[in-house]
Amino acid sequence: MNATFRHFTLAFLLVFIILGLILPGEGIQAQEIDPAVLIVGIVKDQQNQPVVDARVVLAVDGENDPVAETITQEDGRYALVLPRVFPDTLSVYIERSHFQEYSLQLNLNEIRELGAGETIVMQDVTLQRQISPAFWIATLVFLLVLALIATGIIHNTLAALVGITVLFGVSYLGPILSDGLFIFDFASSMRYIDWNVIFLIMGMMIVIAVVENTGIFQWLTFFAYRVSGGRTWLLLPILMLITGIASAFLDNVTTMLLMTPITVQISLALGINPLALLIPEVMASNVIGVSTLVGTPTNILIGSFGDISFNDFLVNLTPGVLMAFAGLLVYSFLVYRRELVVAHDASPLLMDKLAERGQITEREQLRKAAIVFAGMLILFVIGEQFHMLPAVTALMGATVLLIWIKPDIEEMIEAVDWTTLVFFMSLFIVVGGIQEVGLISMIADLIGRMVGDSLLLTMLAVTWFSAILSMVIANIPFTAAMLPVIAFLTATVPGADSKVLFFCLSVGAAMGGNGSLIGASANMVTAGISEAAGYPITYSYFIKKGFPALLITTSLALVWLLIRFL
Amino acid sequence: MPGVICPIRGGPSSQPTIKRAIALAKEKNLDLHFLYVVNLDFLAYTESSRVRHISEEMHEMGEFILLAAQEAARADGISAEADVRHGEVGEEIVGLAQELEADFIIMGRPLGEQEGDVFSIDRLERFIERIESECGAKVVLEDEVEG
Repeated sequence: MNATFRHFTLAFLLVFIILGLILPGEGIQAQEIDPAVLIVGIVKDQQNQPVVDARVVLAVDGENDPVAETITQEDGRYALVLPRVFPDTLSVYIERSHFQEYSLQLNLNEIRELGAGETIVMQDVTLQRQISPAFWIATLVFLLVLALIATGIIHNTLAALVGITVLFGVSYLGPILSDGLFIFDFASSMRYIDWNVIFLIMGMMIVIAVVENTGIFQWLTFFAYRVSGGRTWLLLPILMLITGIASAFLDNVTTMLLMTPITVQISLALGINPLALLIPEVMASNVIGVSTLVGTPTNILIGSFGDISFNDFLVNLTPGVLMAFAGLLVYSFLVYRRELVVAHDASPLLMDKLAERGQITEREQLRKAAIVFAGMLILFVIGEQFHMLPAVTALMGATVLLIWIKPDIEEMIEAVDWTTLVFFMSLFIVVGGIQEVGLISMIADLIGRMVGDSLLLTMLAVTWFSAILSMVIANIPFTAAMLPVIAFLTATVPGADSKVLFFCLSVGAAMGGNGSLIGASANMVTAGISEAAGYPITYSYFIKKGFPALLITTSLALVWLLIRFL
Repeated sequence: MPGVICPIRGGPSSQPTIKRAIALAKEKNLDLHFLYVVNLDFLAYTESSRVRHISEEMHEMGEFILLAAQEAARADGISAEADVRHGEVGEEIVGLAQELEADFIIMGRPLGEQEGDVFSIDRLERFIERIESECGAKVVLEDEVEG
């Protein structure tokens, strides 16, 4: 059997190699065709970003029939292939929805060069934006989606789906009334979906689903109690660290879903107010999660868009995160100093129950998950050497776990939060809508003019703008919308090419979540469980405790970024 | 022996309700039954895929809260049963009251209106009428205290 397999493999390899040698590659084919007469160039927008899908037409002045035409590629480049015979008076026309039409007449020299069979490289073309009714519709749709998410009238995913339905409805039916109502077609909208983000989140969800079933969180929390011996001055930092470190590698919501019930139980056993542990825990989760690429959904978005690796996040943010954590710890002790006084000796009955809960339930599963997770971390760290996207690592890790552990596959697939994935895909399209019509360019232009050439001012503006806005609007759509703006500022502000502004956005968007109850999903989940245990966390309570924490943690992380990048 | 049902959430606001239930059970010499209902409505807008796992965690937390209440009853000289159920709070209270043919249901009276809360003042009155007509149990309200 083995011999047969080896023979088959060898045969396959040989056939593969032979075919590779015999079949001509693209390069060979290109050599063989007649050299074409070309007009090549690049089309950009006012932010110096390439314009894709612009229609480039070469035509005789005043005539409708094009001599040649093409569309611009992802990098804004185009190449017009001319016929062997062409007229003497030619103009290049460039059209693109949401931009003013551009035209340029070729001069006699250029026509002669073309006639001699030479390729002409045109000067870069900068298209000017055009405000059309589509601009206002896409903008209103984006604001509507933000409002629906903020108010919670409907589910986040449904809000984003409503948004894309309106965008497509207007794009396909609107042009019957006016061409100015066209936003984008389905194929163009798909370009805005970042599949690296989608697959990274999906892979991590499967990994988390395996890990959460092992009882590791319950064990760690009880371990914190045992190590501290019930002394709250020791228990608090240990719990904050456990929550924070878990949040740096898993998502914050899952971490708090698992940490909150057991933390409530420890608090009740010790006779202290659970909020004295829960609020610092969730804030630590929001702060320390920033230090890795997979720690927060906003970091996943930023890392993928800004091409920032796992190592970049770790190296550039961890010291700042540690400073912020130290500040948060001191603040938590000050704010909860009274509540942290143990009211009575721990109840033996309740402690027995806690000890029973604080067990690893799936030891073998945990061992395998730990090995795979360690492998994933190594791949996250060294993956950039092989240009391996984090999504690939996450998918590989998830698949290995599923094969090795052999869990109930239906259960694992159920553990993938499909509504969140649909939310992300729909959100990318909604944000793509405002990118397409030029709103993002206008905002980038405006911020660019406000901050001028000052990197310091830009860092301050991006960090605090993100932090304050993340308090009141969901930080995921906010971050998704800000990414092209940050890319523009990175390209234009001197010294920003270190990608520091992406790190400022990361800090602001995540630590801003500490400023209000609705600032982060983890806050809402913690509040839900806490209320179910009879300890409600109101909006005003959270702002009172959270806003000073936002100021402290964001300031400290920003100080680090200033030290490192200025 | 039919007895007293005391649905609780835990926390300081439930303490007067627990004390009242214990006192009533002692006074009437009735069985005492604490109830905790796991309701995951708060997950509706966040993490729909985590329902199964978080439901188990909440169940454990409910058992723990009930254990603390049972301990309080034991300290007061009576033993109490405890039950964690999953679902809509009102339905589960009615269900348990019917199963046990309870004489009394001791509940906390909310301090203020809370949207969507089964114990909000308006809904509470209708709920009391429903319990009393469907189960024949008398509902006793105890003022909650500030948490």
